[in-house]
Amino acid sequence: MSRDLLHTDEVKAIVRDAYGAVDAGTRAVARKLYSPEELALVPDSAIDRALGVANHLRHAELGPDDVVLDLGCGAGIDTILAARRAERVIGLDFLPAMLERTHAAATEAGLSNVETLEGEIEAIPLPDASVDHIVSNGVINLSARKSRVLAECARVLRPGGRLTVSDLTVEDEELPPEILMHPATWAG
Amino acid sequence: MAGALTERDFVAKLEKAGFGEIEVLERTPMSVDDAALYPLFTAEVLELMRTLIAPERQQRVAVAIVVRARKA
Repeated sequence: MSRDLLHTDEVKAIVRDAYGAVDAGTRAVARKLYSPEELALVPDSAIDRALGVANHLRHAELGPDDVVLDLGCGAGIDTILAARRAERVIGLDFLPAMLERTHAAATEAGLSNVETLEGEIEAIPLPDASVDHIVSNGVINLSARKSRVLAECARVLRPGGRLTVSDLTVEDEELPPEILMHPATWAG
Repeated sequence: MAGALTERDFVAKLEKAGFGEIEVLERTPMSVDDAALYPLFTAEVLELMRTLIAPERQQRVAVAIVVRARKA
């Protein structure tokens, strides 16, 4: 019997359950992170389920010829915003429901340069050196194998390609164990 | 949040993966009240945060960073 020594399956199950349970109506996060001008470019369905932690796209030097990978695209708010500036954006997520939301939001926004791709960020189902820019918002911290995720990012980026991501970090002083061991803090 | 790295470790892993020109462009503290905006944090865990974390630390339970890097 195989043993998951890093508890990756358990963490993925927690993340899957938590994100699957998120209903619409979480617009407060989007309003905090994005300007009204940015939100005007995004369908409500993507705004309502935005769960990122910062607005890295303001710092992402996306070019009109770029192929962009949105790692853990969720409901698609960053995928949509990136697609306004790039040639093509691939939204990757391991949850089919999130991909359906991103696809629906792109269709509603009239964007034909958005693709959705089911897969895990620890094993990105794309060829080597196939994207110009990787963006991601609050997703890498959810993986139990972060080194693997970043190695996969390096693999799929073309030489000289850019990575611009938002993520949660913690300070040296740990939070109390009751909080660190709670399933909700592994998904949020 | 429970699986998050320190900024130092995050940058070190980027370097080890083959990235250079690493810049941390934003650092935004996340408070317990900020966490409450996210439906991912249940009422139970928010109550634990408000009970078990010292009041002065409740303004900074995590830090959202924006990082930019280039594949070497």
